[in-house]
Amino acid sequence: MNAFVRNLRVVRRMTAADIAQQSVYRGAWIIFMLANICMPIISLLIWRTALASGAQLPVDERYVTTYFVLLGFVTMATSSWMAGFLAQDIRMGKLSSWMIRPASLLAGFVANNLSEKFLKLFALVPMIGVVWWIFRDSMNIPAGPGRWALFAVSIVLGAMLVFTIDILIASLAFWMDDVSALVQARVIIASVLSGAVVPLALMPEWSRGFVDHQPFRYTVSFPVEIVAGQLTGSELLAGLGFQLGYVVVFAAIARLVWAAGIRAYSAVGA
Amino acid sequence: MTPVHDLPPVIAAHDLTKTYTFHQQRAGLGGAMKGLVRRKYETRLAVDRISFSINRGEVVGLLGPNGAGKTTTLKMLSGLLYTTSGDLQVLDHTPSDRKHDYLRRIALVMGQKTMLWWDVPAMESLLLHKDMYGLSTAEFDRNVAELAELLEVEHLLNVQVRKTSLGERMKLELMAALVHGPEILFLDEPTIGLDVVAKARVRSFLADVNRLRGTTILITSHDMDDIEALCSRVMIIDHGRLQFDGGLDDLVRTAQPRKLVRATYATPVEADRLTGLEGVSAVEVTGPTVKLEADRERAGSVMEQLTRLGPLVDLDVADADIEDIMRDLFLRRSTLGDAS
Repeated sequence: MNAFVRNLRVVRRMTAADIAQQSVYRGAWIIFMLANICMPIISLLIWRTALASGAQLPVDERYVTTYFVLLGFVTMATSSWMAGFLAQDIRMGKLSSWMIRPASLLAGFVANNLSEKFLKLFALVPMIGVVWWIFRDSMNIPAGPGRWALFAVSIVLGAMLVFTIDILIASLAFWMDDVSALVQARVIIASVLSGAVVPLALMPEWSRGFVDHQPFRYTVSFPVEIVAGQLTGSELLAGLGFQLGYVVVFAAIARLVWAAGIRAYSAVGA
Repeated sequence: MTPVHDLPPVIAAHDLTKTYTFHQQRAGLGGAMKGLVRRKYETRLAVDRISFSINRGEVVGLLGPNGAGKTTTLKMLSGLLYTTSGDLQVLDHTPSDRKHDYLRRIALVMGQKTMLWWDVPAMESLLLHKDMYGLSTAEFDRNVAELAELLEVEHLLNVQVRKTSLGERMKLELMAALVHGPEILFLDEPTIGLDVVAKARVRSFLADVNRLRGTTILITSHDMDDIEALCSRVMIIDHGRLQFDGGLDDLVRTAQPRKLVRATYATPVEADRLTGLEGVSAVEVTGPTVKLEADRERAGSVMEQLTRLGPLVDLDVADADIEDIMRDLFLRRSTLGDAS
């Protein structure tokens, strides 16, 4: 059995077990997802009120509505909660019990993320469905399946990008006693630069070059823009190219830092 | 068939060394503030140029006081830690490379860390190992059945792990570690916290695994009963150095060259009558009971002399308790270490 197939089976088994373990806390998932969808809905109502009051924005009401209805889903789908857990496993020596087993350490992290997404989907999709139904007449809904397919691809790439950034930050725990400040800083910076708080289309003109090309745009805003916005074909291709490029660059850096970190691992505790 | 001792060792360590670098921080707010500006880094030598080899099928006890370097050694052998210097080959692999072919041939059980998922039955973890180690269904079923019977845990396989007792969990940990049939089993304090019954069960299981499967076992334990029950050979590590490597009997002879003798007579014995005995020390007379330590070489002559002191009711000759020997040994080294 080759390593890829073996690791795939391990991921499948671990994902199933993770789902079994975490479904115990089903109430927590619903609360998590309510919190996840509340902010986009509040933002949506604020921006729609602003537009109705005559605010001059570079985007119209349909863009704003589609953006915020999809935001909760995309934020959930591309998010990762792994950095904190992984950093703690490194710091407390819990990584050891996985390191002595013949499977990629990545398998556990991937499975954990997949199980999280699976459970969140159950809680989030019905909520988004309701919001979608309420605002269905004032949204940009692409006609053909092409945009939706690119939307799906872009979400997968966005999730991979967040995942590699998480591994990179967590890997610093091999040397630092506590990376929670870094994790928190990343959350705050990402919430602004990814478009999770304010659509990047509303950012000031002078910041355009930076905002459009920085990596966090490709974790949330870009997938949403594929559906909500009027990106031209070339903008779409360039965006996907950037997204893929960031995934490759961050994955390469994360791999280097991780490999160096494993050498410094002190396997604390018995 | 080639005799085991003619085969190359499964573990070969030469001048194995490990140092840790850490920063010191003084207690209190002042210490924390100073640490922010200027940190003092120190290097600690955890394992200091130790060399040894272990043959296939051996059961070896790794002993030493807390902080002696035995767990660090175990972690290097299992591939968790990189060595700072020295050569280390285990099953013809450099452990820290953590190659698949290496990891699938070893197992490490840490008494204070779990390999099992907590919120689901142990069978889920065993099935994960089936996939990780690429076991066929037939092989997996056979191993699970055999191990479950040896450990008497058939009824626990489908119970949530967090609902099992500490002793039951350790049995399940051992099962998870052995389901793929490793050639080498590293055990770090496997009986810590267990009651006497569970300890005895774990020991007899490990002895069975070694006997039936030929598994090489390297074990660290502070429980000398574990060591006496399982190990034909012990290695004592202290201050990172290998202080002793040999049979348990050799250790007793080296560390405590005297036999402990206890003679009980029908009537009380006068202490004066023992003054002429040669090769004895630590003589203690309490009524009809005489306790003393006799030189190993003169033990026979001492016994003979004791029989002449009066009508004997009971005579007991024993080696010093291994627990006492270890305590004396560690205390002696600690005192020497402090003095130097």
